Amino acid sequence: MSRFLRSAVLSLLAIFVASSAFAAGSATTLKNLQTAFNGESNAHARYLAFAKQADKEGYGQVASLFRAAARAEAVHAANHAVVIKKLGGTPEAKIETPDVKTTRENLQAAIKGETYERDQMYPEFLKQARAVANKDAIQTFNYAKSAETEHARLYTEALNNLDTLKGSKNRAYFVCPTCGNTVVKIDFAKCPVCFTEKEKYETVS
Amino acid sequence: MFHFPPMPSWDGLHPLIVHFPIALLLVVPIFLLIAIFLKQDRGRAFLISAFLLLAIGTFSVFMAVRTGEAAGKLADRTPQINAVLENHEKLAENTRTLFGSLTLLLAIVLVVPNFLGRPEPRPAYVGSLIVYLLLYSMGIMALVNTAHNGGRLVHEFGVHSLIAPTTTGPAPTDTGDGE
Repeated sequence: MSRFLRSAVLSLLAIFVASSAFAAGSATTLKNLQTAFNGESNAHARYLAFAKQADKEGYGQVASLFRAAARAEAVHAANHAVVIKKLGGTPEAKIETPDVKTTRENLQAAIKGETYERDQMYPEFLKQARAVANKDAIQTFNYAKSAETEHARLYTEALNNLDTLKGSKNRAYFVCPTCGNTVVKIDFAKCPVCFTEKEKYETVS
Repeated sequence: MFHFPPMPSWDGLHPLIVHFPIALLLVVPIFLLIAIFLKQDRGRAFLISAFLLLAIGTFSVFMAVRTGEAAGKLADRTPQINAVLENHEKLAENTRTLFGSLTLLLAIVLVVPNFLGRPEPRPAYVGSLIVYLLLYSMGIMALVNTAHNGGRLVHEFGVHSLIAPTTTGPAPTDTGDGE
């Protein structure tokens, strides 16, 4: 009997510890989602302001890139918001006034932001979401991380060629409405990140 | 030991499914070859077996593509992984199309004698199966290349599907009293 009682107590204790750990893990996931939602919402506003500045300075192609990235950030924010609501939270963003400088400086700031999200923020958030096996969070972080990687590459390319882009006209970029993947041309049947059909890609210029 | 492990969710099913098409579809040619070497009336049983294996294998290809897409959405991503994953997905879709067509074709080969009301002449029977085997080799090429890319994703890049947890609590510990 005592052996049975001890087993029962140990089992209950194990369930309690596991439940507490899971609850704590979910709370951290929710906090990370809120951080990401705030970041993406601000990035959306910032890139739209950067696009206006680029147009003003005569960098039409860079302005298009900023607008495409802004659309992608809006997709990410919307995806994060869905998961936040699923976890019982309310998506909240504190939109700061964008610090708009020259297009060169704006590109540098954008690269810094995207690189941070690609190399630090999202990998940490993904690690935590994987630890608690929250699939919705893993998916939305995964989508965002993939797109930020591409944004960092496109911004770096634009910065390296900025002198030649002076006087350029707006050009088309293609943004996946599901994951925010941003490309200069569609050379695939399905989005390589989320497998959305290429026909659903949005054109932003 | 005598109970089932936890069933993975749809996103985690891919590693379980993918081995079915590889195994089933690679043994089909053996049955076809036996059917070629035997007399038509005795070979027909092997032909039917080949068709059943092919049908189940093709169904598992369809399942593998669907579960693969679900798993891919949760997989770790880097530009290198994206490139291999994209290739893996394209090849998987080609494999699906090829084996879908091959299943249909073998079904036609199987029902032709019924329409004729008599067995085909042996040269026609052997010839059609040899042509079919040649076509089948295209399917096999697509299949093994898809599998190779999947293997690269797992063993070279460490991409894993999420699996169901095996326990809800911590692993049992030794109480020290030998119980």
